[in-house]
Amino acid sequence: MTRSDGVRQKTKVMETRELEVGYGNRTVVAGINQEILKGQFVCLLGPNGCGKTTILRSLARLLSPLRGAIYLDGHMLSDFTPQELARSLAVVLTERLSPGLVTAFEFVAMGRYPYTGFLGRLSEKDVEKVQEALYLVNATDIADRYFNELSDGERQKVLVARALAQEPEVIILDEPTIHLDLKHRIELMSILRDFCRKKKITVIISLHDVDLALKISEIVVLVKDGAIMAWGPPEEVLKEDAVARLYDLDRARFDRKIGAIELVNSGNGRTTFVVAGGGTGTPVYRLLSRGGFRIVTGVIHENDIDYHIARSIGATIISEKSFREIKQSRLRHSLAIMERLDHIIDSGFPVGSSNRRNLELVLNAVDAGKRVYTLRSRKTAHELYGKLAEKLIYCQGVQSILERLKE
Amino acid sequence: MSTLAGGNETYRGLGRLLIVKAKRYQGLFLLLLMMLIILFVLNIGIGSVNIPFMETCRIISQHLTGSVPGGIIWKIRMPRVLSTLFCGGYLAVAGLLLQVFFRNPIVGPYVLGISSGATLMVALVMLAGLSIGILGIHPFFLSVAAFSGALAVMVVILVVASRVKNIITLLIIGLMMGYVCHAITSILIAFAEKEKVKGFVLWQMGSFSGFTWKEFYLVLLLGVPLLIGAYLMSKPLNAFLLGEDYAKSMGVNIKAFRFLIVIFSSALAGLVTAFAGPVAFIGLAVPHMARLTFGASDNKLLIPGVVLLGAIVTSLCDLVARTMFSPVELPVSAITSFFGAPIVIGLLLKRRVAI
Repeated sequence: MTRSDGVRQKTKVMETRELEVGYGNRTVVAGINQEILKGQFVCLLGPNGCGKTTILRSLARLLSPLRGAIYLDGHMLSDFTPQELARSLAVVLTERLSPGLVTAFEFVAMGRYPYTGFLGRLSEKDVEKVQEALYLVNATDIADRYFNELSDGERQKVLVARALAQEPEVIILDEPTIHLDLKHRIELMSILRDFCRKKKITVIISLHDVDLALKISEIVVLVKDGAIMAWGPPEEVLKEDAVARLYDLDRARFDRKIGAIELVNSGNGRTTFVVAGGGTGTPVYRLLSRGGFRIVTGVIHENDIDYHIARSIGATIISEKSFREIKQSRLRHSLAIMERLDHIIDSGFPVGSSNRRNLELVLNAVDAGKRVYTLRSRKTAHELYGKLAEKLIYCQGVQSILERLKE
Repeated sequence: MSTLAGGNETYRGLGRLLIVKAKRYQGLFLLLLMMLIILFVLNIGIGSVNIPFMETCRIISQHLTGSVPGGIIWKIRMPRVLSTLFCGGYLAVAGLLLQVFFRNPIVGPYVLGISSGATLMVALVMLAGLSIGILGIHPFFLSVAAFSGALAVMVVILVVASRVKNIITLLIIGLMMGYVCHAITSILIAFAEKEKVKGFVLWQMGSFSGFTWKEFYLVLLLGVPLLIGAYLMSKPLNAFLLGEDYAKSMGVNIKAFRFLIVIFSSALAGLVTAFAGPVAFIGLAVPHMARLTFGASDNKLLIPGVVLLGAIVTSLCDLVARTMFSPVELPVSAITSFFGAPIVIGLLLKRRVAI
């Protein structure tokens, strides 16, 4: 198992040994031998139906394991009394709740269940804890509204607050971001990360978003085909091929440096050459890919964001090493390809000493009588290309290129 | 909590809000209690035999049982009215327990086949000649039959509940049991003599008219501990509002809890059915009325709430059943359904929040 040095000294919270989870006779995931440390943010990734939920339910003792053992704080999970377990472990599940006429406050207060007396009367400390939990998820203002009236984002916050009110060591969340928009998704994740950092709560979560997982988790777990495919820090685990294999991506690619997934350029339409750089090519690639065009791009430096996006999209790239001036051979190669194509796009790349030669590509194309579309203004085009700028086709905005190309 | 300085203002706001709510609930309970007392007095005072109000007061306060009106009030009306109150409360609590347990607002004691089981046993006694040799069937014997029927269904449900995890499955099994019981009952009716059928049909309509003191004490002694038990379960009941998984994760012992709910609800419903016959609607509707009245689903509040409201609604329905076409007494189930159903629909439509 790989683990970064910073977390090595931390104590173990959960541990599984030869764990096999599933329902009845059906094993869903087997051979889970892992450790989870205090305050870690662990994220399970995998395609739908791979068994993330089954693993989480087993870790939360909502499902008994088929084989093997789970340890919480060094004790067998099955040895905990319901109350002891509820004091150390809380869950947020995916099922849609309709608890009736229960206010958000009352809902969160149910998290105090393992602490209150026989009739469930809240002590002053309980009320304080509930209010603190509501405050920590920014839900104080909705405390008095009925749970059923809340939006998806607000509900999710209240669910998390309820789990927090249980004062657990471990919170297990099953796809908590699934119905949320971007704003709430990010808000929820940063709340959870704060729990990890400030309250030293261990968060075990299943997510759909590889991007989000890469950016937020300390440990990612890839679950595929009834086994744990990988377990470790996202930087080590989330390699391009691993992600592609995890989700059986043949129509999309994942770029680790950017942490984004791009749909593979599988168009069989006309091939278009994009002269790009400095990120100006990215919107053009995506547009052309959507429009079903095949893409050739160059000359792009390997440290350019355009390079990563073009690679994820599956464009043909003529590239140059980072920060180097473009070699003559690369330029010739580009010109050779360009010769066979009719449509060239000048993305309006910034020009500097290392990529000055890309201007020659544009000039050559214009000179050869090809249709060259540019995103530059007439003024800058004249400054860069001189009188040949007259022959360029000027497009305002990326979308208009597509319209012109389709004419 | 120095880190939460910004939230302090709101905290205090919340505290105030809780106090305001508590006061509102106290007011509501007082109101319900007053309504109950008024209905009690009306039920005692009104009947096919006209007894002046002052006379009634005198008879009650001085415990006069000798005269004819005294006999009517103390021997007939009093046990009946008191039994009606308690039976209404029991049915409502049984309904509430089942609604929380099944997380389904349209269930009542009928659903688990509890009432149907009781009806079937009574049908066996009244129609199928199990009473051979007993010319007049003693009403108490009928009660025993009804209770054993409810109990039998309950035992079957418990056995199934220990194996079936899914609550919806359990619900459907309850429904199916009800259908089977109904089917057997109707076959028995088809083969029975006309005279007997009439008696059975009357029983099946439900009525509180047969209660004597002896029966009232029995209902009281058997039922009140169940009510107290249900109230003591209000904490896990509340947790159950979030569903079985959350309840489990908060420390509810699900197995024991399922067992207790099934026992309590069927015992309460069976007890009422045994003595009054199947009374429709109370178990289904009163929990709704209570939730909407209190604007809450907190069972610590709702259990006493439904006891009071169940008693009020049942007494009112019994009063209407007795007096509307006096001296003809209508079946109480007809009244409960006829007036109750539209009220529930109206209350539900007026609300934005789903129950």
